[in-house]
Amino acid sequence: MQARHVHSSYRDRTNEFFGVVETLRRSIAPAANNVPYGGGRREDPRSAAVMQSEFNRRASVIGLAIHQTSQKLSKLAQLAKRSSVFDDPTREIGELTAVIKQEISGLNTALIDLQAVRNSHNDERNISRDTTTHSATVVDDLKNRLMDTTKEFKDVLTLRTENMKIHENRRQRFTNNPSKESTNPFVRQRPLASKPAPSQPAPLPWANGSSSSSSQLVPRKQGEAESSPLLQQSQQQQQQMVPLQDTYMESRAEALHNVESTIHELSNIFTQLATMVSQQGEIAIRIDQNMEDTLANVEGAQSQLARYLNSISSNRWLMIKIFFVLIAFLMVFLFFVA
Amino acid sequence: MKITALLVLKAAPETTDPVILANASDVSHFGYFQRSSVKEFVVFVGRTVASRTPPSQRQSVQHEEYKVHAYNRNGLCAVGFMDDHYPVRSAFSLLNQVIDEYHKSFGETWRSAKEDSAQPWPYLADALTKFQDPAEADKLLKIQRELDETKIILHKTIDSVLARGEKLDSLVEKSSDLSMASQMFYKQAKKTNSCCTIL
Repeated sequence: MQARHVHSSYRDRTNEFFGVVETLRRSIAPAANNVPYGGGRREDPRSAAVMQSEFNRRASVIGLAIHQTSQKLSKLAQLAKRSSVFDDPTREIGELTAVIKQEISGLNTALIDLQAVRNSHNDERNISRDTTTHSATVVDDLKNRLMDTTKEFKDVLTLRTENMKIHENRRQRFTNNPSKESTNPFVRQRPLASKPAPSQPAPLPWANGSSSSSSQLVPRKQGEAESSPLLQQSQQQQQQMVPLQDTYMESRAEALHNVESTIHELSNIFTQLATMVSQQGEIAIRIDQNMEDTLANVEGAQSQLARYLNSISSNRWLMIKIFFVLIAFLMVFLFFVA
Repeated sequence: MKITALLVLKAAPETTDPVILANASDVSHFGYFQRSSVKEFVVFVGRTVASRTPPSQRQSVQHEEYKVHAYNRNGLCAVGFMDDHYPVRSAFSLLNQVIDEYHKSFGETWRSAKEDSAQPWPYLADALTKFQDPAEADKLLKIQRELDETKIILHKTIDSVLARGEKLDSLVEKSSDLSMASQMFYKQAKKTNSCCTIL
């Protein structure tokens, strides 16, 4: 049950921990022998340790893979920074990018599996609280590291596309291309008025930015100036007539879809609203009942108090009458005696 | 979001130049001396684009800072000069409407037109001013906009309903406390009333 040394910034004390576990188990085992169902208990810690060690093994594997990926990423970053105009290692960069992407997605799935395994362990039998917190911490740490790696990857890709843009500009200047469209290679491939969708200065890092930018760098006719654009325009128009029709129809269809989905959302919102209001109606009824109870209680209490008041005020009358009767008796007694 | 000009042309076969049937332009935002040149420019570019639009096809061309949208339907072509922000769909639905309206009002008389007609068509001028807001032209856009406003209002409603729910919860708490207190009060009163034999 040796866990591999993960390259981390903390001190790895896994081995000490395992030593402690061994000693403890040895001390627990003789004590558990006396208990009638000690056999079952002995099984449990061992299997727990087995599961825990498997968890640790997988976690260390994932950590190692993350470290390797980040190393490759630093290599890629160096390549991207270094590239000059003529010595462009585009292919290597592309290959490295693809490899890193695969690794990252693989690591993602592995991490999710690890978490699922841990959850299933937790559900099967009761582990000590320390184990759960430990595994949770390990999983969180791995996730954080993976996230950092992904962010670096994205940054590297952005840097790469910017570099490509700069190279293209320089190349245009050197080769003295008369089309003069170097300013915005990402905007408008054809003289269409459809929505300027490619308005992304930093294209999506996951959508292989390097390959798309290289494809868009093929010089295109824009047909903007007034002098000789009409011929060009007609050619392009012929070529792009059918796509424009489709684009128009597609945009209409898309707009209709949007409207339909908006209406769906609205209906959802309305049903939620109705549910909430009906729930609150129940609450209002409860409030009403509470108030009625209160009213009844207070009225009863008030009548009690009124009776009490009456009894207090009327008691003296009784007293007086009793006194009178007593005095009458005394008088009779006095009469008979004296 | 501006329409600068609307033109209706008869798109003759490729050899001859299209004939202008109606023209409406809004050049108020140009300087006084540029207005006539802008009008000529509009006429020229409109003719060119119309001549290159095959029948029953739509087309959009970028020209300096304008987008020129053209729609050719069986020889009758409508051209619009809009700026970059005007949505394409609204532009084409506007051109559709213009062509339908022209059909309704002028029937087939335009087929015989041989030279640029000089009569202004009031509908076109009205359309130019009315449809500066693309939502007017495109019903879909208007519906979408209204739906979005409704959604915002509904969100606010839900927020206020949630606040109401919270207040109702606090009210329930207070009323149950009240009823408890009143019950204690009643019991206390009954107790004092029961043992009153001694004054």
